[in-house]
Amino acid sequence: MNFMCKHSWPVAVLVAASLVGCGSEPAAQDQLNVDATVDSTKAERLATTKKIFYNIPSPMETAALLKKAGAEYNSKILNDVKNVDRYTAASQQALNLGVYGADLSYASVFNHTQESMFYTSCSRKLADRLGVTSAFNDSTLELMQSKMNDRAALLDIISETYWDVDAYLKDNGRDNISALMIAGGWVEGLYIATQVSASNDTPELRQRIAEQKHSLGDLVGLIGAYQAEDARLEGVKTDLAGLQALFAQVAMPAPGATVTQENGTAVIGGNSPAATLTDEQLKSIREKTATIRNSYIN
Amino acid sequence: MTYRNRLVRPAFLVAAVALSITASAQCRSFAKNKCVPELAPYKFNETFNAAQLAPGEEAEVSLTFYSGQDYRVMVCTHPILGEVNWKLVDENNKVIFESLADEPKHHFDLKAANTVPMKVVVWVPNKGSGAMVHVGCVAIMVGFKE
Repeated sequence: MNFMCKHSWPVAVLVAASLVGCGSEPAAQDQLNVDATVDSTKAERLATTKKIFYNIPSPMETAALLKKAGAEYNSKILNDVKNVDRYTAASQQALNLGVYGADLSYASVFNHTQESMFYTSCSRKLADRLGVTSAFNDSTLELMQSKMNDRAALLDIISETYWDVDAYLKDNGRDNISALMIAGGWVEGLYIATQVSASNDTPELRQRIAEQKHSLGDLVGLIGAYQAEDARLEGVKTDLAGLQALFAQVAMPAPGATVTQENGTAVIGGNSPAATLTDEQLKSIREKTATIRNSYIN
Repeated sequence: MTYRNRLVRPAFLVAAVALSITASAQCRSFAKNKCVPELAPYKFNETFNAAQLAPGEEAEVSLTFYSGQDYRVMVCTHPILGEVNWKLVDENNKVIFESLADEPKHHFDLKAANTVPMKVVVWVPNKGSGAMVHVGCVAIMVGFKE
């Protein structure tokens, strides 16, 4: 062992200890520097690794799409706030943090402020039990309370809180919990869309539901990236595979995009008409989604 | 294994994990403070896609643009890493937009006429053979108009 090797281990430990011991707040971004001790050799670093992410539509984005598609608000289909105390396992808490997060976004986008506050309270409770208090705490609740009559500000706070919770979990090596939260939110979004379509069926809504085939593929990729550490994660994989089998029957436009310019903005178009669902496809997706979602909340 | 090795190796593992968590937290802070504001007037889509990359490394994000929506795709890089290359490709890997490090564009605005799945691919150019390898945060952000 040469001199560098002998002495780089203690240095690495010292550097790590000093960085972690600085407190819970991350250091200012402009201190994000290279530590030569971590970059063991350049050859190792250059061995190309590809990091793959899956961008699943957030609850807020999904709720906004539903509203644009002419969906109506129906509070009866949302998860009962009384259920919150039933979730004791971390995986169940994560799934239902996603479920309540989607309900919160749905209520907020449709401007049902009082219900938004109930769902905020449920989400906060679950975030607390998951140990995500630095991202979602009493000051977040107070801020939301103070902005109750300012819809745009309220939506911004909800979005930022969701992002903080997701980032906090990923930062702390709890990516699987983050993945469960995202899965719970996505399933609840699909549940809301399919339930609303039962009483308020429009071509636009059917199109949005059909298009979830793309997001489902990304979600399966995201969940599949984690080793199943508990039965719940394995169960979610199975649930999503069941939904994928139903979405496999849904015809999608031919792949490929075209680009044109409109007033200086790129317009991305496809090559075929928009996706849609037959009555039978919609019914089977609605029923399957309800079964999955109800197994998460009960 | 010597006594010293038995002590040193676990300590190094702890140090490596701690450094990784700290660097990741710094990446979150960087993305939140520097990148999210640049998405305005688009609303960021709440998903945290950021990683520490070094020259020669690559990151990819799969995403779907929904018809009728306006989007901003942004690649935000910590200055220590310098400029990066990135492109937006469709399902057939056809390049819809590309930004190269020597003439960088940090965002691309688009309107989706149809719903289309796409990928954002980011790759960090290699520096000269004698250059120090710098690792830096790269955040791939998507904003939409409500």
